[in-house]
Amino acid sequence: MEILNHLDFATALKALAPELWQGLMIALEATLGGFLLAVILSILIAVGRLSHYKILRGLLLVFLEVIRGTPLLVQLVYMFYVVPLLISLVVQFFIPGYQFQLNPLVAGILGLGINYGCYLSEVVRAAILSIDKGQTEAALALGYTHRQALWSIVIPQATRQAVPVFGNYLIMMIKDTSLLAFITVNELLLRTQAYASQTFLTIESYTILAVAYLILSLPLSQAVRLLEKRLSKHV
Amino acid sequence: MSKPMIKVDQLHKSFGIHEILKGIDLTVHQGEIVVIIGPSGSGKSTLLRCLNCLEVPTSGTVKVEGQNFADPSGRYHEKRVAKLRTEIGMVFQSFNLFPMMTAIQNVMAAQIKIRKKSPEEAKVTAEEYLKKVGLAERMHHYPNQLSGGQKQRVAIARALAMEPHIMLFDEATSALDPELVGEVLKVIRKLADEGMTMILVTHEMRFAEEIGDRIIFMDQGVIVEEGKPDDMFNAPKHERTKRFINQVLHPESEKV
Repeated sequence: MEILNHLDFATALKALAPELWQGLMIALEATLGGFLLAVILSILIAVGRLSHYKILRGLLLVFLEVIRGTPLLVQLVYMFYVVPLLISLVVQFFIPGYQFQLNPLVAGILGLGINYGCYLSEVVRAAILSIDKGQTEAALALGYTHRQALWSIVIPQATRQAVPVFGNYLIMMIKDTSLLAFITVNELLLRTQAYASQTFLTIESYTILAVAYLILSLPLSQAVRLLEKRLSKHV
Repeated sequence: MSKPMIKVDQLHKSFGIHEILKGIDLTVHQGEIVVIIGPSGSGKSTLLRCLNCLEVPTSGTVKVEGQNFADPSGRYHEKRVAKLRTEIGMVFQSFNLFPMMTAIQNVMAAQIKIRKKSPEEAKVTAEEYLKKVGLAERMHHYPNQLSGGQKQRVAIARALAMEPHIMLFDEATSALDPELVGEVLKVIRKLADEGMTMILVTHEMRFAEEIGDRIIFMDQGVIVEEGKPDDMFNAPKHERTKRFINQVLHPESEKV
């Protein structure tokens, strides 16, 4: 029980709070960028998977299986370390000596966005399929083309329906930004690790980190619930 | 006679191995009101949906104001079909209002998107037609804040705002509570009085008799008999027509 007498949360909190705050800003930046990318991708993938083009559907399915069949952490590492190498290799055919580098945060945003985009695409696809066929027919009868009906009548309803699920994924993504520590993004976990290893205030540091994430995600889940209520008003 | 608005030639439509329409010929003239009746599964709704190409014919042609839905090589091009559809308004059994838009937004949407009107113009037109169907007071309500009859009247206004030359009604009152049917029929009657060319599929026989210039009786994918309402309801020639009319007018006397 020796260790309990030496717990020093006050010191740890004082030193960590500004660090965590800065880390949080980076985490939010990653989430914002990653989620925006994920939403756009998810709609495009969902529409692609519902299209008439067999080849496109097949390619997308393979892509989805690859993303869903590998861990997010591996994808992030791949995006940060391998993808720039591959790009450099290809470009070197044209420009000898070219070295492509990816900023860690950008790599993180791309990795998170693609991974979440794939999972969200299933949500969007299900939502599109759940919209009554009469909606499309009404639009067609008014002179819309299929594409116009899809984008201006069906997708707005489908995304609206998917918003609550999106909200839950958003909260998951905020927590998953901690994985970006492994590709040197200076977010909360990496900063906490650095502090803990310098001071040996291990218990304090990681407990504070965990609480910080909780403080972040609890009000957000509440907000998602409220949003869900509001949106279900006119469906 | 006035000019033909819709001309259907040897229309066949199959779903898989089931042939729903087995060679329909039909011409509807300007200002004419044609009511299609018949037992369920007779193909009357499918016929109506072929008239604006919501169902693509398996064979045969549908011409609207002389223009074929298919291009000369027999293909159905999306843009060509969409353009012709703007001349034909359609009202559905299940209303199909856009739930995320208010009544007036429902009526404005296609005017802006398809007719390329400015929002201000579209709004003026929308208000005019909502007034016409008696819903000026409710134009800022969402569909789920409206009764069935009100929803259907918004749907009619939405179709009319495109200023179509022909209106199709697919069992427009079938999903309504009995006490709400009247308000929708009243709007349809008003359109009839204004000389709109209309084709209706309905189970409201009294209304069909009163409003129709011509009644078409369909059964098993063919037009069995057509004629003036008076003849059709009081002196049908075919046995099947007689049986059907008798069944719907006197359901209690039905013998199996």
